[in-house]
Amino acid sequence: MAEVEETLKRIQSQNGVQGIIIVNTEGIPIKTTLDNASTVQYAGLIHQLVMKARSTVRDIDPQNDLTFLRVRSKKNEIMIAPDKDYFLIVIQNPSD
Amino acid sequence: MPPKKPKSGKSSAGSKGKGKKIQSPAARDWELSNQDHPEDIFPMVLTSATQELFDCQADEDVTGESPYKLLEKDDIIQDIKTRAAVSDFSPVKQIVLDYPEDELLLVYDRDFTYGQSFYLVLTPEAKDRILNPPKPETPEVFEKEVVKTPEPKPWISLGSDKEIDEEAFKESREKLLYKFSRVRRKFGVPVCFSDRNTADAKDDYLECASYQDSRFSIKQMQRDCGMQAVPRLQSSSAQTQWKFQKNIFTQYTPRELSVEEKENILQLESLKNFCNSVTPRVLQALQQEGIMNVFFDDWKALGTAADDGDWAGKVSEGLMLYQAFTDQKYTKDKKICSINWHPTIYGVIAVALTEKKEEQLNKSVVRASFILFYTFSDPSNPQLLLECPDDIFAFEFCPSDPNIIVGGCINGQVVLWDISAHVTRLQGTQPGKKVSVNTDACDFHQDLDDNKENKTPIVHYCAVSALESSHKAPITDVQWLPTTFEVTRMGLPVENMYNISAQVVTCSPDCTIMFWDVRVSSLVSHSASERRPIMDQKTPYSVPDTFKHLDRTWKPLFRVSLPKIDTSGEYAPLKFNLEHYTCNEANENGDSSKVIPDYSQLRLPSAKTLKALEDVNTKLYIGTEDGEIIYTDWKLGKDDSGRLQSAKPLHCFSIHHWLVNTVQRSPFFKDIILTAGSWNFAIWKEGVMDGPIILSAISEQVCTVGCWSLSRPAVFFIGKEDGSIEVWNLLEKTNEPVQIHSHVTNAKITCIKPWAASSKQHFLAVTDDIGMVRVFEIPKTLYVPSRSESLNVKKYFELEEDRLKDFLRREELWEKEKEAEELKKRRTEPDKPVISLVENEEVNVKEYNDYLMLEESVLKGMGLWQAPADTQDN
Repeated sequence: MAEVEETLKRIQSQNGVQGIIIVNTEGIPIKTTLDNASTVQYAGLIHQLVMKARSTVRDIDPQNDLTFLRVRSKKNEIMIAPDKDYFLIVIQNPSD
Repeated sequence: MPPKKPKSGKSSAGSKGKGKKIQSPAARDWELSNQDHPEDIFPMVLTSATQELFDCQADEDVTGESPYKLLEKDDIIQDIKTRAAVSDFSPVKQIVLDYPEDELLLVYDRDFTYGQSFYLVLTPEAKDRILNPPKPETPEVFEKEVVKTPEPKPWISLGSDKEIDEEAFKESREKLLYKFSRVRRKFGVPVCFSDRNTADAKDDYLECASYQDSRFSIKQMQRDCGMQAVPRLQSSSAQTQWKFQKNIFTQYTPRELSVEEKENILQLESLKNFCNSVTPRVLQALQQEGIMNVFFDDWKALGTAADDGDWAGKVSEGLMLYQAFTDQKYTKDKKICSINWHPTIYGVIAVALTEKKEEQLNKSVVRASFILFYTFSDPSNPQLLLECPDDIFAFEFCPSDPNIIVGGCINGQVVLWDISAHVTRLQGTQPGKKVSVNTDACDFHQDLDDNKENKTPIVHYCAVSALESSHKAPITDVQWLPTTFEVTRMGLPVENMYNISAQVVTCSPDCTIMFWDVRVSSLVSHSASERRPIMDQKTPYSVPDTFKHLDRTWKPLFRVSLPKIDTSGEYAPLKFNLEHYTCNEANENGDSSKVIPDYSQLRLPSAKTLKALEDVNTKLYIGTEDGEIIYTDWKLGKDDSGRLQSAKPLHCFSIHHWLVNTVQRSPFFKDIILTAGSWNFAIWKEGVMDGPIILSAISEQVCTVGCWSLSRPAVFFIGKEDGSIEVWNLLEKTNEPVQIHSHVTNAKITCIKPWAASSKQHFLAVTDDIGMVRVFEIPKTLYVPSRSESLNVKKYFELEEDRLKDFLRREELWEKEKEAEELKKRRTEPDKPVISLVENEEVNVKEYNDYLMLEESVLKGMGLWQAPADTQDN
């Protein structure tokens, strides 16, 4: 528990970070720093995106796997770090 | 006279005759035989004499309708006897003699069916037939068949009984009877029957087998066989396939974990591992983001303003002359004081012409003053003339209704025009539009010439303010109050309910600023009823009555006077500028609905019902005759005696040395004001009370007018007395203009107004002292703002402001230092300055005495010494 908190704190301390969400494999958020509605929305949408991205990478080369996914938009950047059981979503506002 | 025959009979005979005429040789009519005329008629010719004799003149006694004439047999015989061979009836003499009856029928054969014009009917039967034709068959007439029930009739055999007999089954012979019996002793014993094949016994039977005879074979060509058409019934059903199942609506809730589950998971080891493994990656990405922006396109961001790719060929850097407008008739010896672009119609400029300088004293030659409307399509003829009571120095289009124009006269009156009747004329001259110009005669009035179609219409003014309540000096500036707020009689700003501009502010060198309202006020209506009959007589017809209520009785809402700050007396304003208050409340429903209100119906709202707006900036910048810039508040305050009085101005700066001719706010920044006058111009920031933030150097020429560019915050134009235009760009050079267009015109430039016609065309209208209007096209470099120009200019102004403050502070410091030094000096050498004065005095006196003695001695020596008569005091 404490480790998780510590991780979150470290990430949160970077400048421009707007929110962090930890989601399990089914897309259900476990821990978040945003409000419930946004969390649920992000988790649901991004979970699908990650599944798609991962399957794409593995289709091309079955021995390959997705390690990181960054979605950059006009207003902010969403970073997704997938793992075997969970994945971590970080939303950052770029400084410029 | 033959009796009238039934028409049908005649027509049928006639028609039959016609038919026969066409097909006479081949027709097989029952009348005809081999001859071309039947036997019982005889065609003959009757001479006119005969015709007269027998009263059967062609077409007179006998006609096509009644061709029958009965002639007496005796008459004919008589005629034959009298005229013998000459008589026409001679060929039929015998027949006539044998004729059994007394009357013969002569038929006028109009159509020459039998070859002659008449024919004589020879037999009585034929006569009867012709005269009383049998009733013609009229097959068209149907008799109504009465439906009767059929009666039973005896059966008539038609051969079908034979068929039935053939098919019926009859006994052809008697039935054969076989009786079998057994011996008695076997009676009652069961009988056993068995079968025996006939083929077992050889001779038991004789057979006659059939065989195919090879001699012939009959092929059956036809066979009767019964058929019955049976409809094939098939029952089937169809159901569409719902191939693409699509959800129309889905309602869902996200799955969530309960709190305990979350707690559980958070404790898990795998989560910890996950966090540990993921953190470095994420941190790296986050930090990357902070370091630099990898997606930033430096190349693209480098030059957006300078080079825009789609310029082909040469691009002019400076102002290009687009069109020049002048009208010989109206602009001779006149100068243009004011110019305005029409806010909505493309390419329409209005200019106000005034007499030059001293000529206004010469009243004997008074020419009518006009405001001319030019359009791009017709540079040498004005499209519309607005008649003014006197020369107009300033005029403005109403921002909510461009058909209303307010102007300030040289005699201090405020004038209103309504050009809604002529707008189509102005619009009709737009490029690409083919609006038929409707110059009806009803819009012309008081024209001495004939009402020709191509004569420029003159619009008389709708209303003029009351002479006693107008300004006492020429009105030099007129502005409409913006649509966002209004002013009451008390001088308080209140909210504008209808979001229209209905109030005007005027200023004049008689040291007052007046606020006017163009709407009907409830107070005026009482006196208006008395005045109305008078007004009706005087107001000429065909003047739009939008502002009838105001004509000659218009009074201002209130006056603001400008007392001087330090001394008594007042300032004489020439130009002023209000801040446009932008209302940021949500009641901006007026934006979408561009309903132009009917100004004649507007009523002044009662001051109590309107909400007072507290945050309206009620301060004005005013430029005066003496070159001062005054910052004052037009809200009337109460002085000691309780009366409303204007406040003293807050600040006054004497920057320009002569008349101030421009006070204009930047269209991009609410608090930056450009003022121009005499030999320099200045830029002020509202709120900075210490002076202008930018002051230009003194130039050789008098700056006659200045105006901001509409699209670039850093660009403005200055017009000079020698007819040149300077283009200044604050971001490029701050001490001199970027471009100078010298000798744009030979005379002094009186007015510059920019206008953005479209995103690709920006115009600058320049007017001068000799009545010419020149329209220049602003090149792209001057109207496309550079990247973040607004921001840069803002920074520049802030810099200047800081510099000014710094400068003033330094000045103060220097003053203080100087004083301190002086003081110090005085303290260290206190005697010297005192003594030196007295000493000097003594020395002088001593010298003078010595001189006197010297003079005395010299004169004595020369023998010219005279005792001095004057008494000199030392």
